Amino acid sequence: MIEFRGVSKTYPGSSRPVVNDLSFEVFDGEICVLVGPSGCGKTTSMRMVNRLIEPSAGEILIDGEPNTAMSGTKLRRHIGYAIQQIGLFPHRTIADNIATVPQLLEWDKGRISARVEELLNLVGLDPDQYRDRYPAELSGGQQQRVGVARALAADPPVMLMDEPFGAVDPINRHRLQDEFLRIQGEIKKTIIFVTHDIDEAIKMGDRIAILQEGGILAQYDTPENILASPNSEFVSSFVGADRVLKRLSLLRVSDVELGPPNGDGLPRLSERMNLKDALSELIGAGVERGSVVSDKDAVRGTLSIETIQRLSHGAEQARGE
Amino acid sequence: MFDWGWVSNNITDEILPALIGHIYLSFVSVAIALLISLPIGILVSRYRKVYPPVTFITGLLFSIPSLALFALLVSVPGLGLGSTTVIIALVSYSLLVLIRNVVAGIDSVPEETRDAARGMGLTNRQILFRVELPLALPVIVAGIRIATVTIIGIATIGAYISGGGLGELIFTGISRNFPTRVIVGAVLATLLAVLADLTLLAVERYLRPWARTRRA
Repeated sequence: MIEFRGVSKTYPGSSRPVVNDLSFEVFDGEICVLVGPSGCGKTTSMRMVNRLIEPSAGEILIDGEPNTAMSGTKLRRHIGYAIQQIGLFPHRTIADNIATVPQLLEWDKGRISARVEELLNLVGLDPDQYRDRYPAELSGGQQQRVGVARALAADPPVMLMDEPFGAVDPINRHRLQDEFLRIQGEIKKTIIFVTHDIDEAIKMGDRIAILQEGGILAQYDTPENILASPNSEFVSSFVGADRVLKRLSLLRVSDVELGPPNGDGLPRLSERMNLKDALSELIGAGVERGSVVSDKDAVRGTLSIETIQRLSHGAEQARGE
Repeated sequence: MFDWGWVSNNITDEILPALIGHIYLSFVSVAIALLISLPIGILVSRYRKVYPPVTFITGLLFSIPSLALFALLVSVPGLGLGSTTVIIALVSYSLLVLIRNVVAGIDSVPEETRDAARGMGLTNRQILFRVELPLALPVIVAGIRIATVTIIGIATIGAYISGGGLGELIFTGISRNFPTRVIVGAVLATLLAVLADLTLLAVERYLRPWARTRRA
């Protein structure tokens, strides 16, 4: 668990703090997304965890221990670090890049090369093909994968990721996000993930911390709760006017209570679709209802626009309370 | 006009020693200059404020005409004529180029590479030796190349103050009105410079294996 306790940061020569009295907890095995407009202090907050930046006030605890209990370099070797610009070492091969922290920790050679192979497989790069290449020989998406593999190398319990998928095109970004969520399902790291993109925050976060200018924590909650009941003007305008649709995108067709199977000629909806896409399909087809099918094409039931509406109305009500 | 007989008679006791002397002067000068420039360059890359005075002093040294510098140094008590004085002059000529290239090389390291290194727990010393210097090395070698070629040229003048080297052949050839000596000295000095240039160019390329890309 990572715990921020009254953390503030004011740079010398400035009267305005960039992070202001930040207190919240990141739970084990969860992705906590720090999101907000530029100047909200999200990157600064993240960089205080591994002490690339020292706070002016307050403290950060990792598993109950202040992060100042050991030297900054020792601390950083036990926290994964991945950034948008990736920062791979251009003069080192992919294998050597991934091996950076294990080498610092003086693992033996056999263990390092086995780990490199494991990680390349994990991020979907063929070890035989990529191990001995240099970063410049890889595409942007492949470099981001190597960046993530390098951050995971010494199997750190905590990871810091600053827009780790920010430098690739949208299609690749979605693919990398999906891959990372699958990986996280296996490795269950405690992750602080920084982004400026609310859609990425909703997709990636188990919990979202929305920060506003001046480094003030506006709201900290699960994506569902933030979308259902934003606690201020700032949060509701930041999550956007389409927050009802965004919330629908968090639910899958299979999560909904379906009507009895009925129907010839109804458009087919995969049960793995999210409700936002399902709604879009129904509106696009100009019909009220669709037939929900499994991967193997077995009919599960019907889904109506009315059901979806009722679910989103629930969200509106929750907000009103 | 060109006396081949003189060349074959004097190859071992005059020409070869002059060539070896020249290589020695140039090599020692570049080596000493590098030993001075590396720490200064690293210091400058850490503390920008010292860059202007460093460039001012080394630029001043670089702009003094070589013959004038030799003459000035000879008059310094304790130096006088000889190869030590020549080496001091040659070193002072290389500092500007070498320091500039050390700084430019370290500056060329992308900021995110440095940030990633720090974020993964490398110490400042490890960042310098494992990341910054290896990445700066090709640029530093490019500086060594320029300095070496310049020094091989200027070293010929060193013979004027008894520094030895190929200049010896050229100066005695002129004073005795014997063109063969002049030609042998000049041609060897040129060949040496070209050879050094090409060798260091190859080294520069070799040190940048990551730039030889084959895109995936």
